[in-house]
Amino acid sequence: MSVLQLWLNLGLNTLSLASLLAMLTVGLTLIFGIMRIMNFAHGAMYMFGAYVGISAAQWAGNFWAGLLLAALSAAAVGAIFESGLLRHLYKRDASSFLLITFGLSLVLTESTRLGWGSNSRDVQLPEALAGVVFVMDEPFPLYRVFLIVFGLTALGILAIVILRSRLGLLIRSISQNAEMTQALGVNVGTIRTLTFAVGCGFAGLGGFLAVPLITGYIGMGSAAIIESFVIVMIGGMGSFLGSAVGSLLVATTQSFGNFYFPDLSLVVTYLLMIGVLLYRPGGLFGEEE
Amino acid sequence: MVIDRRGFLAGAAGAGLAATFQPAWAQTKEAVRIGVPTGVTGNWSALGSQIQRTCRLFAKTVNAKGGIDGRQVEFYFEDTQGDPAACVRKTSELIEGRGVKLITGVISSGESLAIMPRLADWNALYLAGISGVGSLTAQNFVPNAFRTCTSGPMRARAISLWFAKSPKMKFFTIAQDYAWGKNSLSTFEQLIGGLGKQTVGSVLTPLGTKDYSSYIARIRQAKPEVLYVAMSGDDATAFLKQAGQYRLGEQMQIVTEVLDLLNTRPLGDAGVGLYGVSQYNYSYETAANKEFVRLFKAEYSEIPDTYDGETWQGLSLLAEGVQRAKSIDAMTVRKALVDLEIESVKGRVKLRGCDQQGEQSVFVARLEKSADASYPLPKIIETFSSDAVIPACRKDTF
Repeated sequence: MSVLQLWLNLGLNTLSLASLLAMLTVGLTLIFGIMRIMNFAHGAMYMFGAYVGISAAQWAGNFWAGLLLAALSAAAVGAIFESGLLRHLYKRDASSFLLITFGLSLVLTESTRLGWGSNSRDVQLPEALAGVVFVMDEPFPLYRVFLIVFGLTALGILAIVILRSRLGLLIRSISQNAEMTQALGVNVGTIRTLTFAVGCGFAGLGGFLAVPLITGYIGMGSAAIIESFVIVMIGGMGSFLGSAVGSLLVATTQSFGNFYFPDLSLVVTYLLMIGVLLYRPGGLFGEEE
Repeated sequence: MVIDRRGFLAGAAGAGLAATFQPAWAQTKEAVRIGVPTGVTGNWSALGSQIQRTCRLFAKTVNAKGGIDGRQVEFYFEDTQGDPAACVRKTSELIEGRGVKLITGVISSGESLAIMPRLADWNALYLAGISGVGSLTAQNFVPNAFRTCTSGPMRARAISLWFAKSPKMKFFTIAQDYAWGKNSLSTFEQLIGGLGKQTVGSVLTPLGTKDYSSYIARIRQAKPEVLYVAMSGDDATAFLKQAGQYRLGEQMQIVTEVLDLLNTRPLGDAGVGLYGVSQYNYSYETAANKEFVRLFKAEYSEIPDTYDGETWQGLSLLAEGVQRAKSIDAMTVRKALVDLEIESVKGRVKLRGCDQQGEQSVFVARLEKSADASYPLPKIIETFSSDAVIPACRKDTF
């Protein structure tokens, strides 16, 4: 493999990995940015969405059905959780959210284990995504190309909704001043539920999209959420651009780091986080406190 | 009827006398209590699931026949999450908290190595049925620990002997970055070096790695003829899946030290042609294995996997030890286990006295389509006797 072929390969690997990381992280950022809640159940939502999607795909004999139901199921759980429990805690301090979302994480994880068992699960890729493309004579999985395209599209749509739509305007307004927004006649409770649901939906979607690479397994959420928190620290709490850039940076350190410095790649990721926080404590695109 | 005082006292004395001379069969013996600190959750939970279900089947089967030496078998499960520190804590709770002195079911070599130094203080006996690191019965040997499964060096040796006849010369090795993976990688490289073959590259991957694309790029760039994989659990599944997606098998032969259905089932037909060591194989023709497979299928409606078979073998050895010792005292059972030999699901197994490593055959298998399941199964292509693959006493190298 020539250097150009290698770098192109690693670059494409980076983009596909960044796509997956971003799907999980933007959900976390959305919830924190709008509602100021650090959702410790986000990893469990990622895992839960993966398992529901796998079962839906098997039942329907269709990968896309699994994709849709992965997102919807996680969103539904998020909506029920927010409207049924979280809503009653907004006047309390942040530690209440920490505990209750951690509790949801445990409940979801054990429920998934009871429902599906401990063995890992897999999903069959549709034929259109199962092959390879040759990039400068080197095979690259079609599925990873799909991840890149899908990730960019989904994040693009979310960005347009947040920045250009009336709904996005309301969401941003609530994040800045919920009382004032409520006083103007907006149903803040409904918007919060919707925001939490969308955030969880992205997590579920990310979980299902990861299955063809790593299979669905019970511990997948706890591994992924740690990376998400690192990305949020790097990109900045509550910043979508930060989540995207952070995902790209972490994916780059992992892809290139695993190739050139396999013994050190984990360390490099955390060194990146430390370096960013030393230079900008609020993250690259976060607010300085 | 009026009972007077004398009559009452006589009756009570008679009942007391009768109780004292109760026949042995009417007395209940203390149960054989076995502690299983294993990965119920965490990276190894799928292996832990196999261990638990086989323990339950073992208890059901043995207890239905009257138990071991007239004693019922009871299992006590604890979740270590695959973490060595947690394993020490949970094993301590079993031993010191519940008085359970017979321990098995620990998964990772790191966990085994963490609890072994404490066995003497605990006065407990440990049977390692899963952990593969060579030093467990070499530099880290302790008298209270036995290994009933094959070791990593034994499996690496089998694969290297199999490759001795192959014209392939260039190898790349990839392993999980912890005790067993490192040991397997270094052992295999040393063995093929001795055959005049060349290691063109090697890499250790952190536990929990999910994206192997960069490692795959490294492997492709080295252009080996053979890729040797020492991985297990969810990491192994992820790696084999991604290797298939990058068509790695078209460029080189892939051989895995652990050819486990857990990892190969998700590959489906894409896994056909994968070679490796089948630590336990459902199709191995022994009476004990046929019976085990029959019981397992009847209970769980599926073929037993690697760690089901290893767990059953370990428990069979322990049961025989208790039977011969006529005791559940850990040290008495320990003495009975030294040089103990049984016919097991893998054929003849003997717990070699000098280092308490189980002498047993090692199977090299190839994944092939089978009428026995909807997914490819490992078919034994060569069996290596224990003499050919076991290191010398208290050694983990050759």
